[in-house]
Amino acid sequence: MESLIKCLIDCLIGEKLKVLRVNAGYHAKRRLANLGIIPGVQIIKKKAAPFRGPIEVIVKGTSLVIGRGLAARIVVLSDNSK
Amino acid sequence: MQIHKSKNKQDKKKKKVKEFINIGLAGNANVGKSVIFNQLTGLSQTIGNWPGKTVEKMEGHLNSLGYRFNIVDLPGIYSLSTYSLEEIISREYLVSEEVDVIINVIDATNLERNLFFTFQLLELKVPMILAINQMDILRKRNLKLNFERLEEIFKLPVIPVVAVHGTGVYQLLEKAIELVVYHQPTSHYIQDGKKIHEQLSNNDKKVNNDLSIKERFHFPDLSSILKYGKEVETRIYELIKNIDIHLEYFSTFNYPSRFLAIKILENDEEIEKIFKANQKTIYIINLAENYRNELEELHGEDISTIISSEIYTNIHKIIEKVVIVKARGEKKLVWAEKLDHLTTHSFWGYIILILILAGIYFFTFLIGGFFGGLIEDFFEVLSNIIYSIYGEDDLWVKIFWEGGLGGFFGGLSGVLVYVIPFFLIIEFLQDSGYLPRAAYLMDRFMHSLGVHGKTIIPMILGFGCNVPACTGCRIMETEREKKISIALTSLIPCSAVMAVVLGLVGRYVGITWVLILFAINFIVIIITGKILNKILPGQCTELIMEVHQYRIPNYSVILKQTWIRTKEFIFKALPIIIITGFLLEIFFIFRLLDPINFILSPITVYWLGLPAITGIFLIYGILRKELTLVLLALLANSMGTTLLGLLTPLQMIIFSLVSMLYIPCFATIVLIAKETNWKYALQIAGLEIGMALLIGGIINWVFFFI
Repeated sequence: MESLIKCLIDCLIGEKLKVLRVNAGYHAKRRLANLGIIPGVQIIKKKAAPFRGPIEVIVKGTSLVIGRGLAARIVVLSDNSK
Repeated sequence: MQIHKSKNKQDKKKKKVKEFINIGLAGNANVGKSVIFNQLTGLSQTIGNWPGKTVEKMEGHLNSLGYRFNIVDLPGIYSLSTYSLEEIISREYLVSEEVDVIINVIDATNLERNLFFTFQLLELKVPMILAINQMDILRKRNLKLNFERLEEIFKLPVIPVVAVHGTGVYQLLEKAIELVVYHQPTSHYIQDGKKIHEQLSNNDKKVNNDLSIKERFHFPDLSSILKYGKEVETRIYELIKNIDIHLEYFSTFNYPSRFLAIKILENDEEIEKIFKANQKTIYIINLAENYRNELEELHGEDISTIISSEIYTNIHKIIEKVVIVKARGEKKLVWAEKLDHLTTHSFWGYIILILILAGIYFFTFLIGGFFGGLIEDFFEVLSNIIYSIYGEDDLWVKIFWEGGLGGFFGGLSGVLVYVIPFFLIIEFLQDSGYLPRAAYLMDRFMHSLGVHGKTIIPMILGFGCNVPACTGCRIMETEREKKISIALTSLIPCSAVMAVVLGLVGRYVGITWVLILFAINFIVIIITGKILNKILPGQCTELIMEVHQYRIPNYSVILKQTWIRTKEFIFKALPIIIITGFLLEIFFIFRLLDPINFILSPITVYWLGLPAITGIFLIYGILRKELTLVLLALLANSMGTTLLGLLTPLQMIIFSLVSMLYIPCFATIVLIAKETNWKYALQIAGLEIGMALLIGGIINWVFFFI
C-alpha cells in the first residue's frame, strides 16, 4: 500500500484523495470548510481546466471548482492502493 | 450604522401589525428555491433591492387557505458567515421581524452539503420548515429518505417536494400556518384527518405580525444534533453565560445568544461589531479570542475548520440514519455528464463559449430586429396619419408626437424588443447551469486582469445591457474584485452599442470593420483590467465555486423571470426614455444645445475628424448609446439624405468606435456609483473617455497620413 502526500494540483485526474491540510487565509479556509473541504474528507479530482486553470473536485457528491492558486495550497494524501 | 438601524427598528416593532404570514425561502444555490417561489407566487413577484444594499430582493405574495402570505426568495448561499454580502443580508433578514417562518429548501440529492446550511439556520431559532426537493431525482438514483426519522430528528416539519411538478409545495403553506398558529410543530394536533386550516375559525386567521410569532414559538430542543464536541461546547457555554449577562443589549439584535457565541468564537467580523458597539461587552471579544486560541492549539486547526468539521460529523450521523439505498449503486445522468465534459473541454469548451456569445447576439437581434421593425412600421403609419391631420409644421404636435410618443415607440422598438429576448436567453443559460462552466474556462485568463473567473458571468450579461450586468458584479466576493469587474463589464458592448456598430459600420462599411472594432474593444478591456489590477491595492482572490449538474431548464421559471425583469424595465427604464425623448425634442427644436457643438469641435472636428454636429449626438449618447445612431439617422432624414451622405466610411468607423467606448451610459454610471462610489464611477468614465478619444484620434490621424 503506497501513499503519497502532495498538493492537489499535482494529482492525476480521477485520483481519489484525502484532504490533509488547507494552507490558505482565513476567508478562503472558512469558505472551503463550509463547503466540505476539511481535513480527513475524501475528494476526487475530476478535472483541471486548460491553460493552467482551476481544478474541479468532487466533494460530498458535489462538484466544486477551486482556483489553481488555492488548489496548490491544499495538501492531500493520494492513496494508490485503491 | 447597522446598529443604529436595528435600534430604530426596535422602536417601530411594537406598532407594526401586519396581516401576512411572512415566509423566507432559504437554501443553497440551485436547489429549486426559485421554482418553489414561482409555484407559490406566480406573477405577483417583484424585484427590489434590500434596503441600502445592492443585492436583489425577490418578493411575491399569495392568498391561500384563508391566509395571506408574503414570500421572500433569499439569495442562494451556503453558510451564514460573512463570506459575501448575500450571507450577511440573509441572516440579518431572517432574524428580523419581517420573517415569521423559514422554509429551508434542501436538495435531496445533495443532503450533506445542504444540511450544513440547515444546521446554521437552526441556530437562528426561527420557526422553520424543511422542504426536501428533487425527490424525483433521488428516486431515479435508487435512493430513499426516511421522512419520519427526519421529523423525529429535526422536530420540525420535513416535507418531500418535487418543485418542478408542484408536488408538496402547498403543503409547505399548511405547515407554515400550523407553526404560526400553534407556536410549535404540530403533527400531533391533526384531528379526525382534518387539516389544521380546516379546524380554524375565521377569527383564528388573524395574524399579528410583530416579533411575537418568533418569541412565542416553542423552538424544539435540538441540542442533541447541534452539539459540538466537548472542548468547543464548554467554551460556547461560557460565552453564552457572558452574553446572557447583557441580554437586554443583545436582544435588540434578535440573534439567539448561542448564535452570537458561536459567531464571536468564529471571529465573525459583523457580529464582532455588535460586541464592540457596547463598552460593557467588548471584553467578550477578548474572551472569545482566548478560547479560539486554546481550541486552535488543541486541535491544530483553525476555528472555522474545527467547527465545520464538527457540524459535518453531526450531519454524517443523520445521513446514515435517513438515507436508504434501494438497489446497488447510484444511477447518473449520462447526458448531463457528457454535456459537462463537452462544455468544459480544452478545445470544444471555448468553441461552445464563442458560439453561445454569438448566439446571444444572433437570437437577440433576429427577434428584436423583427419586432422592432414591426413597431417602427406601425409608428410610421400613425405618424403619417397624424401629420396629415395636423400638418407638418405644428410645433406642439411635433413636440408631443416626436418627443413623447416617438420616445415611447423608440423605447419599445429600439430597446424593449431586444431586452426581452435577451432576458430569455440569459435566464435559459442561468437555469440550465451553463454559466459556471464559462467561469471555469475563463478563470485563468481573468486572473491576468486581476479577477477570478466568476467575472465572466456579469460580463456575459453585459452583452445585453450593462446596467443589470453591473448589478450582477455583486457576486464578486471582495471590494477590489467588484470594482474591477464593474469596470470591465461597463466596457462590454451592450446591445445598444451593437445596434450602433451594426447599423452604421456593419451596414455601410462592412463586416471586417465590425470585427476590427470588436477586437479593439476587447483589447481595451484587457488594458483596463491590467491597469486596474496594478492600481488597486490588494490581491486577486481565488475562485471557489460550485458547479451544478446540467438540467433541462424549467420553461415556466424562465418565462416568469423574463416577464418580471421586463416588467421592471417597463416601469423603471421606459419612463426615463420617454421623458428624455421629450426633452430632446424640445432642445432640438429650440436649438438649445448648439453652443456645445462649438465647444466640443476641437475634439470632434479636429482630433476625431467628425462633423461638428456629432458632438451633441455624443452627449445624448451618454443617456442611451443607440441615440447616437438614431439622431444621426434623424438628421440625415431631415437633410433628405442617407447616412452615407452624412459621414464618410472612416467617420462612421471612428464615430462607432467612440460611441462604443467613450463612456458607460448614464444609467450604468449611476449604478456604478451606487455599487461603489461616485469618485470611482467618474474615474471609470474618465478612463473610458480618454481611451476612446486616444484610439479614435489615432485611427483618424493614421488614415489621414495614409
